Amino acid sequence: MKAIIMGCGRVGAQLAAMLDTEGHDVVVLDIDPHSFRRLPQTFKGTPVVGNGTDEDVLRHAGIEEAQIFVAVTQGDNRNVLAAQIAKHIFKVPRVVCRIYDPIREQMYRALGLQTISPTIAGAQMLRKALET
Amino acid sequence: MGKILVPVRGTRADDEAIKLACTLAKRTGGEVGVLYVIEVKRSLPLDAEIDEEIQKGEMALSQAAMLAAKEGYELETELLQAREAGPAIVDEAHERDAELIVMGLDYKKIFGEYSLGDTAPYVLRNAPCRVWLCREAMTVENHH
Amino acid sequence: MYFIVVGGGAVGYNLGKSLLKDGQEVLIIEQDPQACQRITEELGSVAVRGDGCEAKTLEEVGTARADVLVAVTGDDEDNLVACQVARHKFKVPKTIARVKNPRLEPLFKLLGVDITVSSTNLILTHIQQGLPSHPLMPLLTLKGCLEVVEVCLPAVSPAVGKRLKELALPAGSVICLLVGKDNLPVVPTKDTVLQAEDCLVAVTQTDSLVQLQAALAGL
Repeated sequence: MKAIIMGCGRVGAQLAAMLDTEGHDVVVLDIDPHSFRRLPQTFKGTPVVGNGTDEDVLRHAGIEEAQIFVAVTQGDNRNVLAAQIAKHIFKVPRVVCRIYDPIREQMYRALGLQTISPTIAGAQMLRKALET
Repeated sequence: MGKILVPVRGTRADDEAIKLACTLAKRTGGEVGVLYVIEVKRSLPLDAEIDEEIQKGEMALSQAAMLAAKEGYELETELLQAREAGPAIVDEAHERDAELIVMGLDYKKIFGEYSLGDTAPYVLRNAPCRVWLCREAMTVENHH
Repeated sequence: MYFIVVGGGAVGYNLGKSLLKDGQEVLIIEQDPQACQRITEELGSVAVRGDGCEAKTLEEVGTARADVLVAVTGDDEDNLVACQVARHKFKVPKTIARVKNPRLEPLFKLLGVDITVSSTNLILTHIQQGLPSHPLMPLLTLKGCLEVVEVCLPAVSPAVGKRLKELALPAGSVICLLVGKDNLPVVPTKDTVLQAEDCLVAVTQTDSLVQLQAALAGL
């Protein structure tokens, strides 16, 4: 399957590498080419420099054929905008969006976006670690 | 000395400022106006009637009047509603053509750091007239 | 009416100022403490420091009783999110967003922003209105005295339906390329018949531009 990952931070690069290993056709987007250093040497996917909230950049990255779009930049709002472009304009079947702010995350989930809040998940994991 | 404006918050620090203003006014033939600003939260309209806050304000003002009477002085009091005290005090100083603002300040720490609050710095920065601040002494627990 | 303005830059500041002059209740949410202070000193108690996309800030400033939220920060994504949070969490009846990338306007509307304003689009509209409807578009100047221009033939053009050799072109002008409705470039011959919406690339003397335009566009 074709997957586009927006944001090549630690999480984005890790996810890109996983999907690549599983044999998916992966495109990683980031505005900073320096961030592609996080991709492993063996990465067979395509790094693309550009802003994922720009339709032209998304088209160039092949969003029209993508089945998966994941927004994991550092900016909650940028993720929200890009994810909504992917979902509503390009009708990508599977769109996942990271939102740090739990309140915003809840709201967008209620609006039908598939969202992840690492803030809550992280705090829960730490809480659990304290129990053992 | 013309008009002296004393903004009060209903704390102990008010007393010193009122006494000082009254003494000064008596000696120079000035007038003292005491002002209490109810800061209305933005979730409510500015003219919302918040009984609890109004009571607190009226209490602070009557306390001020009582203190002034003890000093043998009669002062004007005013209760105002605004979003923030600082700009309201400065506006009032403009409107009344005040010559001096005397403010009492508690010694207050926030997160372990001494804090001047928002109002005093705003007044210092923007008041058209002279400003005197009377800071209370540290309390015992603040000392340590 | 109660207006909440997200973003206290030049746009937010001047918008707030005008609304206040109209006697409206205004609150400007701005992240930069210095900008906030400036607004308060110039416009009074109408600025709150905070993130206008955050539900907590919006709750504190009474967004639930706001009539309009206007998001005019410099970032499209922030403006979108502020409007969406206002609309879906606080049921603000009207949301207005500034949009820098004009192509995002339809998406913003689809996602529930009532009004979008794109200065890019506004400027473009004004430019297009200020231009004649079928101008010669200058492409290139050659040797300082020749112009390479593009022109799209309007239906009213006197050239439509005529062969190239029948045209009254000014002296020293050549039509060197024709792109028809099929978007294929053709080098026209003297017998090529011109049609409405054909795009031509022509070379002409700088002095003859007006005559060329009259011959091809009829303006």
